[in-house]
Amino acid sequence: MSNRLRAWLIATPAILLVFIFLGLPVLATFVTTFGDPKGPFATYSAFFNSRFRMTVLWRTMEVALITTIISVAIGFVTAWVVARMPSRIKSLLIIAAVFPLLTGVVVRSFAWLVILGKNGILNGFLLKIGVIAEPLSMLYTQGSVIVAMVYLFVPLMILTLVGVLEGIPQDMTDAAASLGATPAAAFRQVVLPMAVPGLIVGAVLVFTGSFTSYATPQLLGGERQMMMGTFLYQRAMVTFDWVGASTIAAVMVVVTLTTVLIMSKVARKLNPMAG
Amino acid sequence: MKTRIHPVLIVITILTFLFLLGPLVVIIGSALSDTTYLTFPPQGLTLHWFTNIFEISAFTRTMGTSFMLAIGGTTLSMLIGIPAAYALARYRVELPAFLGNVFVLPILIPEIVLGFSLMKSLASGFGLPIMAALLIGHALIVLPYTVRVVGASLNSFDFSIEEAAVSLGCPRLKAFFIVVLPNIRAGIIAGFILAFITSLNDVSISIFLTGPGVSTLPIQLLAHMEQFFDPTIASVSVLLMGVTVAVMAVVERTLGLTFLTK
Amino acid sequence: MTQSLTLENISAHYGTTQVLEDLSLHIAEGELVSLLGSSGCGKTTTLRLVAGFLEPTAGAIRLGDRDLTRLPAHARDIGLVFQTYALFPHLSVRDNVGFGLKQRKLSGAERTKRVDAMIERVGLGELADRHPANLSGGQRQRVALARALVIDPPLLMFDEPLSNLDAKLRVDMRVEIRRLQQANGTTALYVTHDQEEAFSISDRVAIMKGGRIMQLDTPEVLYSQPASAFVANFVGFDNMIEMEAVAEAGDAVRAQIKGGSMIELAKEQFTVPSKKFIFAARPEGLSVAPADTIGGIPATLGMRTYIGRAYQYHCETAGGTVTANGPQATPFNSGSTAMLVPQPDQCCLLPVEP
Repeated sequence: MSNRLRAWLIATPAILLVFIFLGLPVLATFVTTFGDPKGPFATYSAFFNSRFRMTVLWRTMEVALITTIISVAIGFVTAWVVARMPSRIKSLLIIAAVFPLLTGVVVRSFAWLVILGKNGILNGFLLKIGVIAEPLSMLYTQGSVIVAMVYLFVPLMILTLVGVLEGIPQDMTDAAASLGATPAAAFRQVVLPMAVPGLIVGAVLVFTGSFTSYATPQLLGGERQMMMGTFLYQRAMVTFDWVGASTIAAVMVVVTLTTVLIMSKVARKLNPMAG
Repeated sequence: MKTRIHPVLIVITILTFLFLLGPLVVIIGSALSDTTYLTFPPQGLTLHWFTNIFEISAFTRTMGTSFMLAIGGTTLSMLIGIPAAYALARYRVELPAFLGNVFVLPILIPEIVLGFSLMKSLASGFGLPIMAALLIGHALIVLPYTVRVVGASLNSFDFSIEEAAVSLGCPRLKAFFIVVLPNIRAGIIAGFILAFITSLNDVSISIFLTGPGVSTLPIQLLAHMEQFFDPTIASVSVLLMGVTVAVMAVVERTLGLTFLTK
Repeated sequence: MTQSLTLENISAHYGTTQVLEDLSLHIAEGELVSLLGSSGCGKTTTLRLVAGFLEPTAGAIRLGDRDLTRLPAHARDIGLVFQTYALFPHLSVRDNVGFGLKQRKLSGAERTKRVDAMIERVGLGELADRHPANLSGGQRQRVALARALVIDPPLLMFDEPLSNLDAKLRVDMRVEIRRLQQANGTTALYVTHDQEEAFSISDRVAIMKGGRIMQLDTPEVLYSQPASAFVANFVGFDNMIEMEAVAEAGDAVRAQIKGGSMIELAKEQFTVPSKKFIFAARPEGLSVAPADTIGGIPATLGMRTYIGRAYQYHCETAGGTVTANGPQATPFNSGSTAMLVPQPDQCCLLPVEP
């Protein structure tokens, strides 16, 4: 048996699993969207002409984008500090970032339900110190969704960026210093440009993750802050409008894949190793 | 000699970690509260809410389902994923480069879309039993973890060791089991445990594939939260955090937690 | 504006481990001094101290009349070529070379002029717009060199700059480095573990061990007159035989080989350092001759290998096992007895170390 044949045979079960249970069903979902009795593109024109659906799409994009920007900012600063800590403190901090990352989405979103609720901790605290007289309604707002999403994705960003920053050899900053660059200049001209590709990879993970999330907007956004994920579920399982749901699914796939493709191209272009 | 870090950056870092760990402390605190509503800091301490978990059959039942599903789905994805990872690492020249990306697809396609599509095709289209559909769905979403983590182990494995075994008269298949597998054990254990926790916590696939009589713990929690607001949920959350701690201990002992920064 | 470098009584620690012990070194203006030693001898630590990446626990570092000891690395104005080259992967050759001038806030036009001239000078004119990933090892080495030279530093430092190149290129590049260093008359500190490289390129070489300089001298002196057994061994005196001077015999000294026969050493060629001393010889310093030859060390020949131009023998003598060379024309058989005749220019006498 040739190595080539052997290699393909060994990989076949996994290829089949992905093809049959991911490729075909997702393809079927796309096919469904063109099956509208009013014409092949009727469901898309309905989607893009509906003010409500477009509001959901733009809101989801907005929430995902804000979440990404905040997560990148917090994550970068934190990762930079973590990467510079002595190794014992560093491993403790990494444990502190991994723990929430491996804790489930439901549990982590639930925590914010407890904190931000009408009778929640934050309201209780603010009432106690007399900043407010009436409890604020913080749940089911865009803000509550974004806070919980940032909470969800900051650990991921920290871990990705610690890896990226540690991958920049000490020799690089030493070389910059030997050529007269102050620590600030070395950071701006050497560390930052070298970290950008990794930064983009992390940012794409956060953006697509928050764009397609379900549990967090469901718990903290509710009906009022409908996002693409919750909208898809509602169309599919509450109103049983499978063509509509498939359309939402198709839009989500297109947005995510486009983001990933464009940004990975940008990252590759900025990748110092590519030249 | 380390470069000095600006105090403002240190303050931001401390605040970030308070932000990351604070909410989890809140959950632990409220799980211990002696009140019938969720509150923090706890008003009097009790373990009542932990025993209460086991009096609510919906929790005990779905907990069982979730663990079985996580073990079953992960095992299935390992059985399929380890050979795939092996093929990718061993036959780098013979296989096309894009094949590696195929196994990342379950991450690339939004999980909720995958859940919806699987429900539409499998459960409704082919009338597959709910449990079978769930098992396939979970195996699929953890496949990238198993292939990637095991692959990382295989990439640092020196395949000339395997060739040495074969040259000494060991059949290829046997060489895989007695030479390759023991050397990538760390990757397999870590991959299994990371896939396990991913499956255990999954919402987006399960939400579509659970049905009458069959549900998973996170889905049950989600439903429970929308109706009740008592400390039982907090105590279930604390139990799940316990599982996380166990998972982290295993990863630390196998690949080391810094593996997750790569 | 080249300047001399002075290290005064430098000590350095990593945590509680002492890596440099009371080290002093002076490099004159325009001189190239190498630090030579195996890994862990403190040579790289010394270089990193001068560069400002480490701080000494005691002592002072001066460049000309500037005190560098507590100055941050970026203010030291030293050109440094790294072992890994440490080229900035996100910058082109031109921007890599221009990096230091940019930090010095040189005007754009002046910068371009100097950068282009330097790139020409190291022969990379065609490649100025490439990124480091698209250069060969030798080309990267040239960029690293150009980047360190273009800031016109009073001191150049090299941290094993050639260890990542293949043998042929290594020889070419060391000639190139020497040429550029001499043309500018820049003071230079060169760190290497390769003896041939250090000897070929340096005005003086410091052989280091355990955080101390064992001997600092010109390559010629080090090669022919090592001061200690360690240095002798380092420069290829593989054979060490203990002897004791017993009598004068005209213009020679009669010495007894430990546990064996007598040998006469001509005073004109050998200076006996003490009553008990070590006779050190390179393999070619002991010539294998028939057993009836007069004046030599009797030996029993063991394994014979052919090394090109000569045969090499493992020999048993009263003073221990030694390696000696014999002529190609008359091979001796293994097991036969022979006389090992010292060739004075490949032998030396060392004091017995306490």
